[in-house]
Amino acid sequence: MNAEHKTPEWLTFVDHTADAGIAVEAPDLARLFERAAYGMFSVITDLVAARATETSRISVEASDRVALLVRWLSELNYRHVTEHRIFSKFEVLALSEHHLEAEVSGEIFNPARHTIFTEIKAVTFHDLQLKRDDRGWKAQIIFDL
Amino acid sequence: MDYDIRKLTDYLWELPKTGGMRVPARIYATEEMMAQILGDKAPQQAANVAHLPGIVTASLAMPDIHWGYGFPIGGVAAFDLEEGVISPGGVGYDINCGVRLMASRLTRGQVEPRLRELVNQLFRDVPTGVGAAGALTVPVDELRRVVERGAHWAVEHGYATETDLAHIEEHGCIAGVDPAEVSPRAWQRGREQLGTLGSGNHFLEVGYVAEIYDMEAARVLGLQLDEITVIIHCGSRGFGYQVCDDYLGVMDSAVKKYHITLPDRQLACAPIDSPEGRRYLGAMRCAVNYAFANRQVIAHHTRKAFEKALSISTAEIGLRTVYEVAHNIAKFETHVVDGREKRLCVHRKGATRAFAPGREEVPPEYRAIGQPVLIPGDMGRYSYVLTGTEKAMRDTFGSTCHGAGRAMSRVKARRAAAGRNILREMEEKGIIIRGQSRRTVDEEISEAYKDVSNVVDACALAGISRKVAQLRPIGCIKG
Repeated sequence: MNAEHKTPEWLTFVDHTADAGIAVEAPDLARLFERAAYGMFSVITDLVAARATETSRISVEASDRVALLVRWLSELNYRHVTEHRIFSKFEVLALSEHHLEAEVSGEIFNPARHTIFTEIKAVTFHDLQLKRDDRGWKAQIIFDL
Repeated sequence: MDYDIRKLTDYLWELPKTGGMRVPARIYATEEMMAQILGDKAPQQAANVAHLPGIVTASLAMPDIHWGYGFPIGGVAAFDLEEGVISPGGVGYDINCGVRLMASRLTRGQVEPRLRELVNQLFRDVPTGVGAAGALTVPVDELRRVVERGAHWAVEHGYATETDLAHIEEHGCIAGVDPAEVSPRAWQRGREQLGTLGSGNHFLEVGYVAEIYDMEAARVLGLQLDEITVIIHCGSRGFGYQVCDDYLGVMDSAVKKYHITLPDRQLACAPIDSPEGRRYLGAMRCAVNYAFANRQVIAHHTRKAFEKALSISTAEIGLRTVYEVAHNIAKFETHVVDGREKRLCVHRKGATRAFAPGREEVPPEYRAIGQPVLIPGDMGRYSYVLTGTEKAMRDTFGSTCHGAGRAMSRVKARRAAAGRNILREMEEKGIIIRGQSRRTVDEEISEAYKDVSNVVDACALAGISRKVAQLRPIGCIKG
């Protein structure tokens, strides 16, 4: 319970009164989407205990890139809640302005090994940031807990 | 932030109508609380709500006001049924999040020797539903009946008694549901979560009546000093979160369709009497009933856990529902506006209905004292029982506060709890806590919350509710 996963340098937890958020950085957009997913599951659980034993495919569509990021994370949260899966590995296979195709790996929730910190009610558009600078891509996402 | 705030009374402040505001924004708070409130964006959010079409009298905020998605938490806004709008952001993600208070025939002395067993039993029998499945897996067809019947469904399935229903807001079932407007995702999210607490600030607490301020009201509610109580705080779980999420998207398009000008996109809304407005209302009410059923099933498991842990009969335990309130909801109600009765759509987001004595919505046995209101505090201090007043009917559409509100973010709370053993600290105070994870407990430490007694006192001094009793915790389970 106490051994928490070391947070990668590209992920920071954002302070927000009643809720929680993450900020992620990546060299390219595909990696950013992968890291945002990893960041979201770091809010949900301690990924140190998570194994990536099963892989499935996810495909999401949205009206623009920002909405696509929210849809992608919402889809993963939905699968986590309804299929009781902990996802810990994400590989974006195809990414455009409106469409994302990815392979996600994880395992079925096991209360003996996994600690759930919180549920995420929703991935919100509040203060959502997705931008590029000379060092790469950055995103900030606030979750409603 | 810099606000043009005016003091109306010692407990009421106003942001005057400026720019696109249709009415002023009014905040209930003491001068001391105001200093802290003005440091936040929440007053601006209350002013933003005042821009919405058809808003009546004022955009109101209770003393526990703090930032929320679009509408502030602690916000109350009433809309004209013809010209007004309905907004998912004015209800919140956790539709019909609410609080049930139960009281028993047991005293502290009878329970404390077996308190640890009781809290452990509750933690086993009342699932948090976090990570794994809940107590019940309900097929979607059956879930349809749950959302049509609310807590009545629980009676039909042996989870409740008729007397429970009489003491729930709306008798545990709101009319006007439309299951056809609920998305497949919401049904899926709701399927395995009936009878579960959830995470975040949701909890089940065992406590006792520590102080009585209004002897007559306490007598009517059957509350006696030292008597063991239970508070259940949770809502409509994934079902409601998904309904809100789905309709934020619908409303985003509706804003464009109906040419509604908003100061903040998160206030997305639709005319009450529009296809989008009606669809949201139909789906939102399904979530309202899901939450009523959810709390009722939890109440049932609570009764069973008391029996098992204490080896005392149901009758001797006598765990009865004192009252249950909703604090995230939009409802059609009749209020007097400019001397005339008017049907309004009242949004309460982190605010509680607090109807006055005499109102027909108050159960007959409580009608002389007014509607009971339950205000939970943090896990280490106290909670309050209040009643509604005539002044609340006149000034706040029969509404009052809903809780303490956070003083620290979750990250700050974890930092404050670092290196401490919060469970042991609480045990030293006589409170046994069981949580899904250490992090959950750390994030919910007492000092992460404002002192709820300040919030309650501000409401009492402003006259929008009356203090009846204070409850103190001895055990708590958290998701």
